[in-house]
Amino acid sequence: MVDVSDAESPPDFDPVEPNAGEEFDPVDVFPDSTEFDLRPGSDSCYKCSTCDTNCPVAEVDDDFPGPKFQGPEQWRLKQNEDDYRVDDSVMDCSNCMRCDNACPSGVPLSQMHNTARGEYVAEEMSKTSVEYWRNRVLANYRTSAWLASKVPSVANFAMNFGPARWLMEKTMGITAEYEFPGFAAETFRDWWAREGAAAGSRERAREARERRGEDVDADKRVAYFHGCYSNYNTPEVGKAMVRVFEQFGYEVVVPEQGCSGTPMFANGMLPDARRHAEVNVSSMSDLVDQGYDAIASCTSCSMALRQEYPELFDIEGIEDVAAHTFESVEYLRIHEDLRGEIAEADVDGDLAAEFAYHAPCHARNQGLERQSVELFRDLDGVGIEDVGDSCSGISGTYGWKEEKHEKSMEIGEEMFEHMEAAEGTTGMTECPTCAMQMEHGTGYEIRHPLELLEAALVD
Amino acid sequence: MASAPHVAVIGGGSTGTGIARDLAMRGLDVTLVEQGNLTHGTTGRMHGLLHSGGRYAVSDQKSAEECIEENRVLREIASHCVEMTGGLFVKRPEDSEEYFREKLAGCRECGIPAEVVSAEEARAMEPHLAPDIDKAIRVPDGAVDPFRLVVANAASAQEHGARIETHSTVTDLLVENGEVVGLEIEHDSGTGKRVHGTVGGTEELRADYVVNATGAWAGRIGDMAGLDVEVRPSKGVMTVMNTRQVDTVINRCRPKGDADIVVPHETTCILGTTDEEVADPEDYPEEKWEVEKMLDTLTELVPMLAEARTIRSFWGVRPLYEPPDVGSENPTDITRDFFLLDHEERDDLPGMTSIVGGKFTTYRMMAEQISNHVCGKFGVDADCETAEVPLPGSEEFSVLRDYMDEFGLRSPIGRRSVERLGSRADEILTTDGPNPTVCSCEGVTRAEIQDAVDQSGSDLNAVRIRTRASMGNCQGGFCSHRMANELHGEYDAATVRKAWDELLQERWKGQRHALWGEQLSQAMLNYALHATTQNRDSDPADGAPVDFSAFDGGTSDTAGAVDAGIATDGGRDGD
Ligand SMILES: Cc1cc2nc3c(=O)[nH]c(=O)nc-3n(C[C@H](O)[C@H](O)[C@H](O)COP(=O)(O)OP(=O)(O)OC[C@H]3O[C@@H](n4cnc5c(N)ncnc54)[C@H](O)[C@@H]3O)c2cc1C
Ligand code: SF4
Ligand code: SF4
Repeated sequence: MVDVSDAESPPDFDPVEPNAGEEFDPVDVFPDSTEFDLRPGSDSCYKCSTCDTNCPVAEVDDDFPGPKFQGPEQWRLKQNEDDYRVDDSVMDCSNCMRCDNACPSGVPLSQMHNTARGEYVAEEMSKTSVEYWRNRVLANYRTSAWLASKVPSVANFAMNFGPARWLMEKTMGITAEYEFPGFAAETFRDWWAREGAAAGSRERAREARERRGEDVDADKRVAYFHGCYSNYNTPEVGKAMVRVFEQFGYEVVVPEQGCSGTPMFANGMLPDARRHAEVNVSSMSDLVDQGYDAIASCTSCSMALRQEYPELFDIEGIEDVAAHTFESVEYLRIHEDLRGEIAEADVDGDLAAEFAYHAPCHARNQGLERQSVELFRDLDGVGIEDVGDSCSGISGTYGWKEEKHEKSMEIGEEMFEHMEAAEGTTGMTECPTCAMQMEHGTGYEIRHPLELLEAALVD
Repeated sequence: MASAPHVAVIGGGSTGTGIARDLAMRGLDVTLVEQGNLTHGTTGRMHGLLHSGGRYAVSDQKSAEECIEENRVLREIASHCVEMTGGLFVKRPEDSEEYFREKLAGCRECGIPAEVVSAEEARAMEPHLAPDIDKAIRVPDGAVDPFRLVVANAASAQEHGARIETHSTVTDLLVENGEVVGLEIEHDSGTGKRVHGTVGGTEELRADYVVNATGAWAGRIGDMAGLDVEVRPSKGVMTVMNTRQVDTVINRCRPKGDADIVVPHETTCILGTTDEEVADPEDYPEEKWEVEKMLDTLTELVPMLAEARTIRSFWGVRPLYEPPDVGSENPTDITRDFFLLDHEERDDLPGMTSIVGGKFTTYRMMAEQISNHVCGKFGVDADCETAEVPLPGSEEFSVLRDYMDEFGLRSPIGRRSVERLGSRADEILTTDGPNPTVCSCEGVTRAEIQDAVDQSGSDLNAVRIRTRASMGNCQGGFCSHRMANELHGEYDAATVRKAWDELLQERWKGQRHALWGEQLSQAMLNYALHATTQNRDSDPADGAPVDFSAFDGGTSDTAGAVDAGIATDGGRDGD
């Protein structure tokens, strides 16, 4: 039985001390497993280049050969030789996964990129290089966040302390441009424990069902995958998720969990990602067996559990977890009359605003890019405008890299312009790093759709 | 010493170019005449298996022994054309155990290294083998690129002074006083490199000796002097897959039969084959059932083939020969051995020998024997060196390099290029100008294309066989026009258009047999692209210079240049 307690899981490596790679065990990039065979994917490509025209990095970076090369082409050229090197340009892909969505022929481009990137990092990248450690630190954001959350006020000061930032940029290649995200005084999980955790939620959900005139014993149970960011940085999103779901009569549990792996995929750190995936899949699959669905408030987290896990890892229960994972608003749209309730509701206070909404690329890949706009345009007291289908440019860790930052801002330019042209001066998005970029580019405050749902529906 | 004897070799396949190289290295004066491109005949339409001899170890042990001997030689002298993949003879439960044992014993008798591997071991080597196989025999089969090997032989012959004439057809044998004294040749486009539109002409080529190495066509050359050379052409189909489902040659371990082998070849793998006698080596039916049979039968060995993408199919004709008194009913019973037919001894017609039968794998040995024979005629005492001296491109080279640092190429592209160019890579890939990728499926850059154009003139199919450009999954959809563009400058528009047309025709020819699933989508996309953006569906300009002003006058060049901010490509200036 899985541990549904809310214990903090400790970080599993110490980013300060490079181990020079002796203990590094490269992930098996499944040379002899037929399940992850990329041949059918390569067969599906007919070279139309639609993926290239949709790649935000290729648009601003003339040296980046684009998804068609990174994916099916490179795979086919190097298929038969074990000592064939993966081209280093795969490290310039931001893993926005827009190419996946663009391909008319279903080529699993991001799976190909992730596999190639994992191979590149395992076999070619020096494990003592600054780049490797910088990427590893960025990819293992959860570890730094865990440390910082112990003394949030010091961390908030230190992380944004000018000379320290300058040093980080010079020695680690982490750009000094962004404000480091603030660490909450109390993590989501601490708050959750204070609220009575699963038992408290069961109580509140029952009351809500009663209030709503539903069967009090109804089987409405979800397992919340909060991810790192809403735990350490934006617990208000996690709280909103819990309150909204409980409002609809769902019992929430918050199982033991690691990082979704998104930043690790983007940096080719597949062994790290796998370790976390094992934890996540094991806790989620036990819950799925018991009838829970897995809910994420971050679109990249839901993407990882749904698509990247089964594409990359062979872990018991992974397919089941993938099939039972949903983005939070998506889940309510499917199971509740969310539209109807929104139409009845209204919002006042600080969320009664005009929003400039940006759909994260990973939301787009799950077919969710229009849901916030379509829902909230019926909500009294607010206005919402889609700022277009461009990429924000930050793509998780991409924009944080000193050498990529300028390109990241160039990619984001279109979004910034559209935000500025939009009526509202408050931004909205599901993705925490898109939010960072939106704020960085426009100075707007950025909110999460769940916060607005909470304001509209939770009494 | 009198000037060296002049030998005319007919046929630019593996046999003919092998002979030309050998004779030229021994100091003879050689002219090679080929009606199409190099490899135009069977050599360009074979399976690409570098035989270990295993396939003949039961039925034809003499051939088997020759194969393993030459297999070892070619690994050394033609290293940039050969990939030592290894091979397996796979036994399925329904295949005969007795034959399996005969095969193993036969291999050992012929000196072919052979070991039995369990089903698990075989599947560890090749995970896509069917799960229910029994076991396999492992042998040193390999993959060989016939194009590269023949081009390298011809280049070596040229370095030793030979004259190589492609697109030149022998129309008659010159016979004087009961002796063959030369050839009548019809040049398609003058002598030397092919240039479309150049006026051809007839040439009488006098020679001290003629070697007929025309394979399946040998009978026709014989006819020109009233000789009976009973070649029995037999066709076989080969189907090219988009990727490599196997990295080892997979043979079915059973006596004989169609569709019993998969050979990995560069980025693809090739399924084969059938064996059907045909009357005419140039005109025979290419039938759908043959392709279906490949896929259906070989799926028993490699199940994933059933769902895999096929990019084309092609047919070749074996130049089988058997002495008239044997009279085999079935072409599969005809020996794969080769025969030297000295027409002086056989037909009282001095001046010519025909070489018939044989295999690609043993081409060098065949060439050595006939060269010995010819040298004997002229009392030339020179050793054969072709088993020791590497072919151009096969001198020492390494594929483990920093491609970006050295050549500015993405690593898989540089690697493929160096594998193709071998020891010539540095010379070809070190360029001053930009070196964009022209064919992205196979990773072929401008420098490699230009090198091929230098070798072969305005012939894009000749460029194709040298570089593999247009041989990948889009089958020329996205690179044919870029390849044609590489001819521009040196060749005028009309020449370029002809060459481009020929390439498209040739690419289409093989794709006709793969029009389902993904390749059908590909063909539709190619068609739409070529028709709508290149006017290739009906080109009013073919043959004549294009009158661009008839389409859209636009601004004239001089006016355009000063036009505020608008560049000639329609974009903003500086774009
Ligand atoms: C289906 C198939 C698969 C095969 N697979 C393999 C294999 O995997 N491994 C292997 O070792 N062997 C294989 N072989 C056998 C091998 O391909 C041939 O034995 C070999 O290529 C014959 O070469 P060649 O030079 O003798 O004949 P060709 O390559 O046919 O050369 C003869 C040349 O003469 C030219 N010619 C003809 N008439 C004239 C004329 N009048 N004027 C000028 N030129 C003329 C032709 O255009 C042709 O290019 C295969 C054969 C077939 C049919
Ligand atoms: S969009 Fe899909 S089919 Fe088109 S080139 Fe890219 S991967 Fe290939
Ligand atoms: S994931 Fe994004 S950045 Fe990477 S190749 Fe695809 S579209 Fe380009």
